[in-house]
Amino acid sequence: MNRMPLLVFGVFLTFAAAWLGLVAYPYVTLGQLQPVTDENSGDVYPPSLSGLAATGQKVYASNGCVYCHSQQVRPAYLTSDIANKLGPRRTVARDYLRDQPAFTGSLRIGQDLTNYGLRAPSVNEIHRHLYDAQAVVRGSIMPSYRFLYTMRKISGQPSNGALTGLTGRHAPAPGFEVVPTEDATVLAAYLLSLKRDYPLPEAPQETTE
Amino acid sequence: MIASAQSPILEKVDASLRLPVLIFFGCAACWLVLGTFLCAVAGFKLVWPGFLDGPAFLTYGRIAPAAVNVLVYGWASSAAFGIVLWLLARLGRTPLDYVVLPVAAAIFWNVGVFLGLLAILAGYSRSVFLLEFPGFISGILFIAYLFIAVWGIVLFRRRAPGSVFVSAWYLLAALLWFPWLYFTGNALLIWGHPVSGPAQAPIASWFASGIINLWLAPVALSAAFYLIPQILGRRLVSYNLSLLGFWSFAVFAAWTGMAQLIGGPVPAWMVSAGVVASILLFIPVLVISINLLGTMRGSFEAWLWSPSLRFTLAGAGAFLLVYVSGVLLALPGVNAVFHFSDVLLGQGALALFGFVSMSFFGAIYYIVPRLTGQAWPSDGLIRWHFWLFTVAVGTGYLCLMFGGMTQGFALSDPGVDFSSSVAFATPFRLMAALCAIALLVGAACFTGLFFRAVLSVFEPAAKSSAPAVTV
Repeated sequence: MNRMPLLVFGVFLTFAAAWLGLVAYPYVTLGQLQPVTDENSGDVYPPSLSGLAATGQKVYASNGCVYCHSQQVRPAYLTSDIANKLGPRRTVARDYLRDQPAFTGSLRIGQDLTNYGLRAPSVNEIHRHLYDAQAVVRGSIMPSYRFLYTMRKISGQPSNGALTGLTGRHAPAPGFEVVPTEDATVLAAYLLSLKRDYPLPEAPQETTE
Repeated sequence: MIASAQSPILEKVDASLRLPVLIFFGCAACWLVLGTFLCAVAGFKLVWPGFLDGPAFLTYGRIAPAAVNVLVYGWASSAAFGIVLWLLARLGRTPLDYVVLPVAAAIFWNVGVFLGLLAILAGYSRSVFLLEFPGFISGILFIAYLFIAVWGIVLFRRRAPGSVFVSAWYLLAALLWFPWLYFTGNALLIWGHPVSGPAQAPIASWFASGIINLWLAPVALSAAFYLIPQILGRRLVSYNLSLLGFWSFAVFAAWTGMAQLIGGPVPAWMVSAGVVASILLFIPVLVISINLLGTMRGSFEAWLWSPSLRFTLAGAGAFLLVYVSGVLLALPGVNAVFHFSDVLLGQGALALFGFVSMSFFGAIYYIVPRLTGQAWPSDGLIRWHFWLFTVAVGTGYLCLMFGGMTQGFALSDPGVDFSSSVAFATPFRLMAALCAIALLVGAACFTGLFFRAVLSVFEPAAKSSAPAVTV
């Protein structure tokens, strides 16, 4: 090829085409999505995150949870996500309005967490799972996040926030207790906030039947 | 082994490039060892979560992205810069002036990658795939890149008159695409106020696939297009095939990442465009492979005496395999089942360790003797490096694919609970982690060999030996 301007122009054009379609277009359309307000109750969907949960999102990012856990429910006509009870409906772009960044994820080495807040039994259970997943779920390959907790000697009464029901290898010895750090508290608040069951006009509830 | 006397102008070109290119390759080789080591650690953590756990920086969610970033920005990108500069200077028969600037850029880039690695391990990552480095560090990388790219463009502008070879098309494209890609990715997802959540999924997907398809792949193909005819001393099969391959790759490659968002929170047409592009990418892949392998026709025994040809051909084979299996995996029915499974890891590993790395090894084995003026010190280590990589990449790929498929079927079956999908994948993940150990040993062979070759230049005895050059 000897016509250089043609080469440079072509190289520019092929890239620009994809850039316009896959970057500029989502930027001006999906990027402008707003929350919807329920006419009857006045509720706003997706609900905004509490301050704790918003901070917890940063802990989620800094420890790379997204490399194993997706947050996407795909529609019933395409996959078995709904039948697998990952959520009552598919996730749509508006669901990620409160996410920074959007943790869509691309692997399910661990469970999908789109609606973890709906199925989590209690805050203590979330902490037990984070502290030592193998003691809670047999065969789990989730790492232990012990570094988000402090083990200390009980002086007088056990602390209010101390974890209860710890078993297994990392359970505290008698006379000791495990308390969540600030990071663990906000992370649990974020995980508990993961509930995408609110109604959105573009994503009706789905059934597998 | 062949010995060839080089023309004076090429010797001048090589002399001018010696320092910057060897710095890029040296840093790249060290990153490769560290990257494969981190890969192995992450791999074993998936099997034994208690392996090396405790402190925060050793948690899987930090080790895994650290490994990927070290491999992509440390190893592959540094190696790519060395290859780009050498090929552009060589193709244009132009020596490089002001060597201090590319050398400074090389140092800045690698210091940036080092700081980025520390930042990920310390937990300062936003967990956006391949954009894990904090904003000020990607800023350093971007500025370092501009210095390198400007020098590449200067070399290209000053080229000796004559037709521009197909390798230079790919290099020019990669040099123009990477800054646009990297700037867009950082500006919209990392720097300042990132775009709102709903717009992030397609942009992140476009970026991640672009780093392979629009940056590393063109450099790897450029090296293959240069080396195969050069080593065999013949012409490429067809100029028209080169044209068709280049332009169809340029048109389709940028769109393929969207296929992975099947069922995801993006407009349906985007996924369709990604699926169509992934399938149509079959055309350039076939055309490029025919052009490269056709040039080899009747001379496959050259594989035996030329290590760089051996690595280049293995890279070309992996190129064919990774994109052809990409076509099959893009088909919506297949995609919906295997998405979210280890199949994705297998594809990524084959692209990075098979296609990109093997092609880059081929180029480095060709370039370094021309810079040091001496043959590689050990044939045996080159063989070890080649076979360790080929067997480990091949076996690791098969394991992750089979494991990923069983995992994908388990994930898609409402009658099978989630823990079974983990149990099915685990033996295959263990095998893949063992393959990562083999990659680490292979990388250590390569790096040891590289530094022996570079340091032997300073030995007085070696200086007097004949300037033989091996390919």
